[in-house]
Amino acid sequence: MRHLPNYVVLVIVALLVAFPLLLALSYSLMSESEIATFPPPVLPQAPSLDNYATVFSTIPIGRYLLNSFVVAGAVVAGQIVTASLAAYAFSFLTYPGRTLLFFAFLSTLMIPWEATIIPNYITIRSIGWLDTYQGLAVPFMATAFGTFLLRQGFLQIPKELHDAARIDGASSFRFFRSIVVPLSRPALATVAIYAFLSTYNQYFWPLLITNQPLMRTTQVGIAQLRFEETLRWGLVMAGVVMVAAPTLALLIVGQRQLIRGLTSGAVKG
Amino acid sequence: MVVLVAAACGGGGPVGAGPSDLSAQAPGKDVKPAAKITWWHAMSGVNNDAVNRIVDGFNKSQTNIKVEAIFQGNYDDLLAKLNTAIASNSAPALVQVYDIGQAYMRDGGQIVPMQAFIDRDKFDTKDFEPAVLNYYKFQDKLQSMPFNSSSAILYYNKDAFKEAGLDPEKPPATFTEVADAAKKLTKKDAGGQVSRYGFGPSIYGWLFEQLLATSGAPYADKGNGRDDRATKVLWNSDAAKKILSWWKAGVDGGYFYNPGIDNDGAANAFNAQKTAMYIESTARLRGHINTVAGKFQIGTGLYPRPDDKPKDGGNIIGGASLYIMKSRPADEQQAAWEFVKYVLSPAVQAQWQSDTGYYPIVKAAYNEGPSKEWASKYPQFLTAVNEIRDSPQNRATNGAVLGVMPQARQRTQKMIEVVLLGQATVDAAADAAVNDINAQIDKYNKANP
Repeated sequence: MRHLPNYVVLVIVALLVAFPLLLALSYSLMSESEIATFPPPVLPQAPSLDNYATVFSTIPIGRYLLNSFVVAGAVVAGQIVTASLAAYAFSFLTYPGRTLLFFAFLSTLMIPWEATIIPNYITIRSIGWLDTYQGLAVPFMATAFGTFLLRQGFLQIPKELHDAARIDGASSFRFFRSIVVPLSRPALATVAIYAFLSTYNQYFWPLLITNQPLMRTTQVGIAQLRFEETLRWGLVMAGVVMVAAPTLALLIVGQRQLIRGLTSGAVKG
Repeated sequence: MVVLVAAACGGGGPVGAGPSDLSAQAPGKDVKPAAKITWWHAMSGVNNDAVNRIVDGFNKSQTNIKVEAIFQGNYDDLLAKLNTAIASNSAPALVQVYDIGQAYMRDGGQIVPMQAFIDRDKFDTKDFEPAVLNYYKFQDKLQSMPFNSSSAILYYNKDAFKEAGLDPEKPPATFTEVADAAKKLTKKDAGGQVSRYGFGPSIYGWLFEQLLATSGAPYADKGNGRDDRATKVLWNSDAAKKILSWWKAGVDGGYFYNPGIDNDGAANAFNAQKTAMYIESTARLRGHINTVAGKFQIGTGLYPRPDDKPKDGGNIIGGASLYIMKSRPADEQQAAWEFVKYVLSPAVQAQWQSDTGYYPIVKAAYNEGPSKEWASKYPQFLTAVNEIRDSPQNRATNGAVLGVMPQARQRTQKMIEVVLLGQATVDAAADAAVNDINAQIDKYNKANP
């Protein structure tokens, strides 16, 4: 009972934070003329799924969702593999020039993505990967940020474990697989979720390298729902809800890992 | 960026410097059209469906050429993608580019001017809407084929007019009339809060361009950039300052609503009856009628103009047009031209109008069934057609062409905003904006000789 005031505050703050999302859901169930009334309504008078039906008839949303999932899934797998192996090399292996190499690696974070668009596009085009899943996914399979995050996570693992494993005759890969990966699950989950969301939300790259309607992704689909001259909020919101729902589900599932992952490295322990 | 300005369509020369006949720039008449070409467009939603209908119709109408239409995001996204494609030599044969991308397309030297095909085939453009064609001309040569065209009109709420004791069949036409009507239409609730404003235009650069045109005043020098490359903008002219002062007085007086730089916000305020009048594109008409769904009667009137109704004032059209790309082989250019001709046929134009609400470009389209049906369903559209037909054709009403038009439009928006919020006087805001953009024009002209 003595927690009641806390919960009241939490519920209010939660509603405030979720308000834009809830409003999107509410608008997606309203007709255009209902949205246009003043003052703007918060809840639909006569909820209807018409907007959702229109989304289905306007764009192949199912296919777009599938494409986005395939691409985002591939990027997650790619980043987890490349980033964790690279991070291992930067934290447990000792070789000359390691620090220098690590900083060179990190400095790529400073290159604005926009500067790489045209070279990337030309590369993808010259190997014939336009309109393909590999064209959408491969350029994003290595990540400096993810490597940095995982390296910081790996550094938390006591050096003694590494020594003990070596004494017991474990190879580097065995130690990586049996000790490092299980201990770093929160950090790996963070990289995975971050990679998934940033790939899922991409707009310009998929637009650039795809021309076939069936190879496009969800964000391009949302753009197709935006009519140049008359914005139909209900329709756009229905599309947004459909596209956002899977990412929300992912966030709810991964939330616990994500919070632990983001704070790992923040506190020693 | 590749800068290859063909001598004939290049910028620097004096008026009429190019040859009078551009046929030589088009592929020979005997070139066999390519079997397949790609067309990039920026039409989303229902307009995308309308585009697909045209393409399907064309592909079924003959067996030699197959056109593939691809949506490439909004106008800006499409241009960005086009830039990337040009850099790697993978541009399509036909692209749709918005009105303000005109100088950019021309100065880059990447296009075959539409005039080349028109001259080569002695193609007859007599039946075309002159106002629409003129917008896409440089030194009187057509650069691209107008595709989707609209203009700006006054939208008003007839029910609110009746309530305020105004004649619902007589919309205000001049700046003072709009202000007077707006005062009468503004309504306050018991608490003294304004529950309805008389007039609520978005701070939208295009609307400012239109207001200058109805004032008969040019936006930029060198014949609005149509006789030669513009070197400076003229937003600090008396006509421009009059517009800014009128707008500011309305907002200060509390009878103009200021939605900010927000076109959708202004449209929603009108739908929600928070404003009784506003100005916007004709392309929004159908959306308004469908959204309002009979809750009030929508009227349309001529775009506001100065009180003395200048003789040479009129409306500019807006929208987008189709460009044939020079980097594609001759047979693809040929195929693109065949498709453009199909798009211009009256039946296709009428279908396009009834599917989207844009103007037909050829007058004969109005005799076609779909166009007539549309006119009877949305009689308000007639205002727009008449407005454009009655506009005198001169450099002011042809509209401005600038290489930095997108930036100029944004800068005017900032200028208007600063004035409306009282952060600077009309004079100071206009001078600052003019200086900013003149510097950019200078830079552009030097970079694209």
